[in-house]
Amino acid sequence: TGPRCPTTRRSRELQIWVKPNCFLALVTLPFVSEVRRLDKRFKKLDLDDSGELSVKEFMSLPELQQNPLVQRVIDIFDKDGNGEVDFSEFIEGVLQFSVKGTKEQRLHFAFRIYDLDNDGFISNGELFLTLKTMVGKNLEDVQLQQLVDKTILSADTDRDGRVSFQEFCKVSQTNGVL
Amino acid sequence: MEFFFNPFDNLLCILLGISFTVWITSLLVFIIVPAIFGVSFGIRRLYMKTLLKVFEWATVRLERGAKENNHPLYKPYSNAIIAKEPTSLEEEIKEIRRSGSNKDLDSASEFEMSDIFYFARRGVESIMDDEVTKRFSAEELESWNLLTRSNYNFQYISLRLTVLWGLGLLIRYGLLLPLRVTLAFTGVGLLVFLTSLIGLLPNGRIKNLLSEKVHLMCYRICVRALTAIITYHDSENKPKNGGICVANHTSPIDVIILASDGCYAMVGQIHGGLMGVIQRSMVKACPHVWFERSEVKDRHLVAKRLSDHVDDKTKLPILIFPEGTCINNTSVMMFKKGSFEIGTTVYPVAIKYDPRFGDAFWNSSKFGMVNYLLRMMSSWAIVCSVWYLPPMSREEGEDAVHFANRVKAAIARQGGLVDLLWDGGLKRDKVKDTFKEEQQKLYSKMLVGTQEDRSRS
Repeated sequence: TGPRCPTTRRSRELQIWVKPNCFLALVTLPFVSEVRRLDKRFKKLDLDDSGELSVKEFMSLPELQQNPLVQRVIDIFDKDGNGEVDFSEFIEGVLQFSVKGTKEQRLHFAFRIYDLDNDGFISNGELFLTLKTMVGKNLEDVQLQQLVDKTILSADTDRDGRVSFQEFCKVSQTNGVL
Repeated sequence: MEFFFNPFDNLLCILLGISFTVWITSLLVFIIVPAIFGVSFGIRRLYMKTLLKVFEWATVRLERGAKENNHPLYKPYSNAIIAKEPTSLEEEIKEIRRSGSNKDLDSASEFEMSDIFYFARRGVESIMDDEVTKRFSAEELESWNLLTRSNYNFQYISLRLTVLWGLGLLIRYGLLLPLRVTLAFTGVGLLVFLTSLIGLLPNGRIKNLLSEKVHLMCYRICVRALTAIITYHDSENKPKNGGICVANHTSPIDVIILASDGCYAMVGQIHGGLMGVIQRSMVKACPHVWFERSEVKDRHLVAKRLSDHVDDKTKLPILIFPEGTCINNTSVMMFKKGSFEIGTTVYPVAIKYDPRFGDAFWNSSKFGMVNYLLRMMSSWAIVCSVWYLPPMSREEGEDAVHFANRVKAAIARQGGLVDLLWDGGLKRDKVKDTFKEEQQKLYSKMLVGTQEDRSRS
């Protein structure tokens, strides 16, 4: 799905190694400068020059530290699950939220934040845990559980007790705000 | 063999002698004497104008060359990847909810699954480009100033440009650097020597007068040692005795820049080595406030010594940098409230450097002091503007933090800098957990708030 690109693509200045099946095959000139900018940013964040970003290096950004969902965002960036984000994962992750990303990609990203075990469904427990990180100690567990139950009830159209990706898209269909 | 070398030897000696004399004389006439009297020949301004013309030409050539070779030019501030808008948590989440497809306007739901977009988007925005960490490294320039250290597009573009760059290199390292180093040694040496001499005098008007003159003279020599071209604005607002002068902090050079135009009492920690020698001799001539390392932690002691100093109207105004650390001169970060609790008139000063001639920011994690000074002395010049803002005092019922923010806003506005609430200490420390808890609290309020509205209606 989507254009196939060669296994690796090496640019003289940029030195990016890019995994197959990614949308970076659609490289055009202005796009190259964005990637170059990201390259600079990546190198800046990579404090120990290891070529990969660890959670600790992400956490060196003060504005990120105040975001309660930061760990989930980093987990989603880390596609191969090795605990660190390398450059191609970084680019893919960031560009989903850029002007170049599609609404579908963003919805998928948001879905992944809820779907903790990555099985393609948001269960009652997963929604509860995610909401808990968003509100911290400010709401009682009982209140939280009520909200969760209500939400799942209204979103779960096929009555299987959990929210699938299609149901999620329908519930959070936003027009142009993303 | 000896006959062969002798005449050449003599000639060489004579030549060396002459050039040395000429060198010293011109140094004296053009630099040191004007420094003593505080006048200027205008040589530095002429130099600055010439340099600007050269830079413009260099940038045009670079852009033209890049276009010819089809290389994309790296421009630091264009091509914004994510469009950011400054809105509050509540507004943004409401916006996201409102634009949902099947929502009727009356039912305000407590929680929507789409709420998560707000946090995800904010998170990715911060990863891409955050407001804080970019203040702790050198500012990126739009045009090239013939220094490789500030060039991101440097490739071989044209012979003329490379020759120009090589010439610039020669001038900076061969001519300007030795000159500046000589001046720096002269300035510092004179400072230490003369202040120690003055320290022997009995306290009184003559001592204060002499110490003032000596300090000004030595700082002016140091200013010329850096080829600093400073423009002072609004000098009628200059700080007076018994007040506190606060300024934004970019590098240790700020002290030299301010002190060459007026006399201040410095505040700081006693260091060892050369700095310590300078500090100890300075305090002999006029009272500065130096703290031992152990005393710095005791906030009450610090506050008491500062108040004692300002209460004595014969003593000079104190110079303080409330940010506590060096910021890269694109923004002003949180002011520590200590100096604003003292309860006297505050004289804000805004310092803005022109980055085209040399980057004055001291990145203390990257360069040590000596390395930094060498970089300063081998750039083209240090060009900056100093604005003396009208004095401010704490109003009735205003707390120190609020007052500090008011002063900070005034400085940021005048200097054209971004006013940030973030703490400069974040250069080294982590954010407190309270920030995260703050966000969680805000969001919970949104959820619970709508619940209360519903139960009420």
